[in-house]
Amino acid sequence: MAAKGESWTRSEAAQGYALIAPPAIYAVLLLAAPLATILAYSFFKDGYLTVIHEFTVQNYIATWSDPIFRVILVRSLFVAGLVTLATVALAFPIAYFLSFGLEPSKKARWILLITIPFWTSYLIRVFLWKVILGYNGVVNSALESLGIIGPNGLIADPLQMLNSVGAITLTLAHAYAPFAILPIFVSLEKIDRSLLEAGQDLGESRWRTFLRVTLPLAMPGVVAATLIVFIPTVGDYVTPELIGGGKIPMVANLIQAQMLPLDNRPLGSAIAVSSLLVVGALALLFLWLNRRFLKAGK
Amino acid sequence: MTTQPMIAFREVHKYYGDYHALRGITAEIRPGEFFSLLGPSGCGKTTLLRTIAGFEDISSGAVLIDGRDMAGVPANKRPTNMVFQSYAIFPHLSVAQNVGFGLRRDTRSKGEKAKLVEEALEMVGLKGYGARAAHALSGGQRQRVALARALILKPKVLLLDEPLSALDRKIREQMQVELIKLQREVGITFVLVTHDQEEALVMSDRIAVMFEGEIAQLADPETLYRRPNSRRVADFIGVMNFLPATVTGERGDTITAEVAGLGALEVARSQVSLAPAGDQAAVGFRPETLTLLYEGQQAGDREAQGVIDEVVYYGDMTYYDVRLDGMERPVRISMRNVFGRPVLDVGTRTRVAWSPGALVLFR
Repeated sequence: MAAKGESWTRSEAAQGYALIAPPAIYAVLLLAAPLATILAYSFFKDGYLTVIHEFTVQNYIATWSDPIFRVILVRSLFVAGLVTLATVALAFPIAYFLSFGLEPSKKARWILLITIPFWTSYLIRVFLWKVILGYNGVVNSALESLGIIGPNGLIADPLQMLNSVGAITLTLAHAYAPFAILPIFVSLEKIDRSLLEAGQDLGESRWRTFLRVTLPLAMPGVVAATLIVFIPTVGDYVTPELIGGGKIPMVANLIQAQMLPLDNRPLGSAIAVSSLLVVGALALLFLWLNRRFLKAGK
Repeated sequence: MTTQPMIAFREVHKYYGDYHALRGITAEIRPGEFFSLLGPSGCGKTTLLRTIAGFEDISSGAVLIDGRDMAGVPANKRPTNMVFQSYAIFPHLSVAQNVGFGLRRDTRSKGEKAKLVEEALEMVGLKGYGARAAHALSGGQRQRVALARALILKPKVLLLDEPLSALDRKIREQMQVELIKLQREVGITFVLVTHDQEEALVMSDRIAVMFEGEIAQLADPETLYRRPNSRRVADFIGVMNFLPATVTGERGDTITAEVAGLGALEVARSQVSLAPAGDQAAVGFRPETLTLLYEGQQAGDREAQGVIDEVVYYGDMTYYDVRLDGMERPVRISMRNVFGRPVLDVGTRTRVAWSPGALVLFR
């Protein structure tokens, strides 16, 4: 009996492993293995055009003692912070309108409209901003035809909008807006509407009810939106390359430069791991502060 | 009544687009009264309650609270508080913070407010629960928190929107008794919305029965039960047997009606329902106003004969469906079960006694 029971458990366990195998294989091959490779490379020596498989921490020392790395990392974090702030601040009213300002039957239609930017590739959207903001772009030509820009206008020369932190921020904020709107929308949708009536019934105005009931209950969505926007924008490669004209590199551009043109893969890996750790630490700090804040609010 | 009503509805109409939800409600609720709005779902009872709270604008007419017209007064400025059907407990706050939610603008010190909260929790039997997270409470506890949160503000009127419908039977019955006690203790006017006729009968001083946006009858529980003014009200509240009748004569205070199987019945004019019941008049009686007669028992006033069609045993009671001789449909009779008296079987021939005073004539 005992042997039979054992083999039964074994087959049960085997079934379990078989069930989780596809996602496990996926996770190992596509997430864990590349990360481990980068981590391993960051501890190898660079032998110019080859990689010498010997352990060293020289890459990390080089990364952190390089003032350029620090400037670029701080810039990446600053741009990502700016993008996150702008995106979440603009996404909240839109999500609020979607959740509270629309009849339930119309919500799906509006959400579809919000996803329209995703129907074209990210690269094309970035190019579109280049067309809009460029020297001979949509904005400048419009202002010129209105006579605002020109010899007799308020401004003599067309505006120089590309190749700036502002243009990068604008492009990224536009690209990531739906990522911020949707989690906030979901958390607003989950709020029981009778809670808002209860707030007013207990003597609070609509605005006060919003501050005391709606906003705290929407915080999980705001936190999710913040992380979803912040983490990928720190490592964005395309926008600084195209909108920044390569003149305002961010971390991803630096990594790319080490990996391919300079062919120093160990140093590139060390920069990648370093920025990963910094972003991870910041995300954890943000979650911790948020929890503290929510507790203090009670 | 010379005292001013606590709530007065004057010809209140409410339209949702084309839908006429409230059709000219006129009624008064007295101060300190336990008042119920009773009706099937969709009859407008919740809408009417929400016009008091200020969550629903009215299309025409007026709602007065303590003599003051509430037109244009928002919910947060009305002297009412509400216990919501879902309780609407703030999930991000503790029990004490929920109860103290409405005290923000109160000028008293923090310590005094904390004391008020503690007292309110004690009143609803949740002493010492203040620090608990609201989302960890049971249904009955949430209900109590909602009550404490509303009563701590000492409203003129407490509005209760089906507050007991989500609780299981035992807790519901216990909460009914507690609510009655609480209402007597605080002396605040309670307005309860319910679709449960038993709950309304148990708890209320007066009940307004509503159908399709209109008040069909407004009376105390006993009058509603004994003298419903229409077949519809009679049908909604408890069980009532209806027998087709023909009015054959009217003399002074009595009306004579002919009922197949029972013969000519004399009904006091006070027992005649005002609302017409269509072409065919009917005589109605409650199951407990009929009695099965056992061997050797003598009928009080009148008796008829019949055969038991169905027996439903409830422990303390037994319901018998008895087909009386000369009648098409059986009538339902309830009998209290007494020790030593056997429950009769289906098919038994039996005698049934009734008293004419318990009949209601609908014509």
